[in-house]
Amino acid sequence: MRILSATLTNFRNLAETTLDFSPHVNLLLGRNGEGKTNLLEALNWFALGRSHRGAKADELIAFGQDALHVALSVEEDSGAIVACEFGLDRSGGRRLRLDGEPLKGKADLIGRLVTVVFNPDSIGLVRGAPQQRRQFVDQGMAELDAAYLAHLGACQRVLKQKTGLLHDLRRGFGGGGRGREELTAWNRELAYHAAGVCRGRAAYAQLLEPHLRAGHEAMAGPVGTVDFDYRPRLESVMKHLVSGGGKLPPEDELAGAIFAEFDYITDSEMRRGRPLSGPQFDDFGITLEGVDLRTYGSQGQTRTAAIAMILGRSDVLFGQRRMRPVLFFDDIFSELDRARTRRLQEMSSRDHQVFIASARPDDITGWRPEGLRAWRVESGRFAAVEGDAITAGD
Amino acid sequence: MERPHGGNGLSGGDGGEFQSPALERLVRSLSRLPGLGRKSATRVALHLLTGGGAEAHADELTAALGDARRQVRTCSQCGSITEPDPCRICTSERRDRSQLCVVASPVDVLPMEKAGFFRGRYFVLGGLLSPLDGVRAGDLPFERLLDRLQDGPVTELIIALDASVEGETTALYIQRLLSGNPLQLTRLATGIPVGGALAYTDEVTLQRAFQFRRAF
Repeated sequence: MRILSATLTNFRNLAETTLDFSPHVNLLLGRNGEGKTNLLEALNWFALGRSHRGAKADELIAFGQDALHVALSVEEDSGAIVACEFGLDRSGGRRLRLDGEPLKGKADLIGRLVTVVFNPDSIGLVRGAPQQRRQFVDQGMAELDAAYLAHLGACQRVLKQKTGLLHDLRRGFGGGGRGREELTAWNRELAYHAAGVCRGRAAYAQLLEPHLRAGHEAMAGPVGTVDFDYRPRLESVMKHLVSGGGKLPPEDELAGAIFAEFDYITDSEMRRGRPLSGPQFDDFGITLEGVDLRTYGSQGQTRTAAIAMILGRSDVLFGQRRMRPVLFFDDIFSELDRARTRRLQEMSSRDHQVFIASARPDDITGWRPEGLRAWRVESGRFAAVEGDAITAGD
Repeated sequence: MERPHGGNGLSGGDGGEFQSPALERLVRSLSRLPGLGRKSATRVALHLLTGGGAEAHADELTAALGDARRQVRTCSQCGSITEPDPCRICTSERRDRSQLCVVASPVDVLPMEKAGFFRGRYFVLGGLLSPLDGVRAGDLPFERLLDRLQDGPVTELIIALDASVEGETTALYIQRLLSGNPLQLTRLATGIPVGGALAYTDEVTLQRAFQFRRAF
């Protein structure tokens, strides 16, 4: 999909403006702090229903203003053009519209505008806490299967309830000696949704791996095989995963096995007053020739693996749903060598609309992709630049 | 920081509270009602005190509230809201005594009665299991439900609870409570709404409808 144009009003420091984008490569040049990332944040907000930098409405609304408004014209992969709008105000109000029709919740947003942001923090996909890898897989799977998103939401909700109950029980609120039975009921409900989540994660790891390998090889050359595998915390799931060669049994069967495991550890959970296992502790392994990149990868290896994961996610989405996300590269080329930078630029711009924010014009020296558009960003204002002026610097 | 104020002159202006303690008490009391924030509570309060025909309306409201408080009670058998106790459904000779339908709230009885197809009787739980809201098994009338099933002619217990995780868990708890009991336990089906277009059914509902498809 492609963002054809954007009209911004009162978004951070950005001047009120309408920008028409290239369906291929869009380049935003300027020193740090001038507004490049703010534009990426505005374009990306509609895809997530929130700021990818975790900013609240108060931070997004321009200083001295009460509300912001952003309207995007998005061309879907089917060729249909939809108008996506959002407005936020300081009292917490938010309005989302698709072709003028109000959208109710976040779930309605999924798949409308799919974007992937790549910035210096993305290396955390490989190096960071398991939560970052879970989020990556959860988002990727939710784009493919709405039922997965429902299981994930239900799982989180039941887990909160179960945690509350265990906390109660530990503090002595036994509820007339029925605490154990209550826990059993919550565990059964949790097992049902956990089975859906674990199945989705296992399926996604299998979908991603071949694309991840191909992308990795295209970037880094034939340096070895990358494996991406699901590492569930639940032993019952791990056992089935091993015996099934990476595939998990049908939901009901898996839910039964997960429930048995929950039931087995219930006494320990009641003693400790918190859940001790479940999909909330899952992780994913990323290895190169058997070496765990999460702990032993060099800076360059982890960065290449993280990029391959992100491009792999795009390929999975395209393979399953014929959709291509819009890619945002925010200040990442400074950390890659020139050869990898060029390969990444060429690979990504072949199939995607790409937005590149860069403080260093020489990142793109000698690269003139089809339909390139460039802007110089200064104090929130955008000035189109062309030809040699792009790399002229400032 | 400068904040805009309503120009009704009743506001103290600095702390966001009314200068009249009686009005302030009324607003606070109203804002404890479900769905009313302080803003809406203030609108309601000002309407009752200063709107057109305010005095008559306020008196009528006071009287209605008093009568309702005196006359409305929960049925000691099913937990529905009623004036006579037991309620008319529980005492009716025309209702099928072999079917008992478990619902979460008295409000859930209304659409079923309006549709009129169900001829059995009800049992209102008054809530769903939800430790986060402080609702535990001991807070819901499960013992009374068991008593009711013990000495009654009920042969089928129909669980009609929300399709939320709290509703599902409460259903699972009841199922376990009744393990070993010979009565038939059933649940409402989930699926495509009547008159609904397949293309606009959400994926999860569609998946359930598929999962529980039946021979045709």
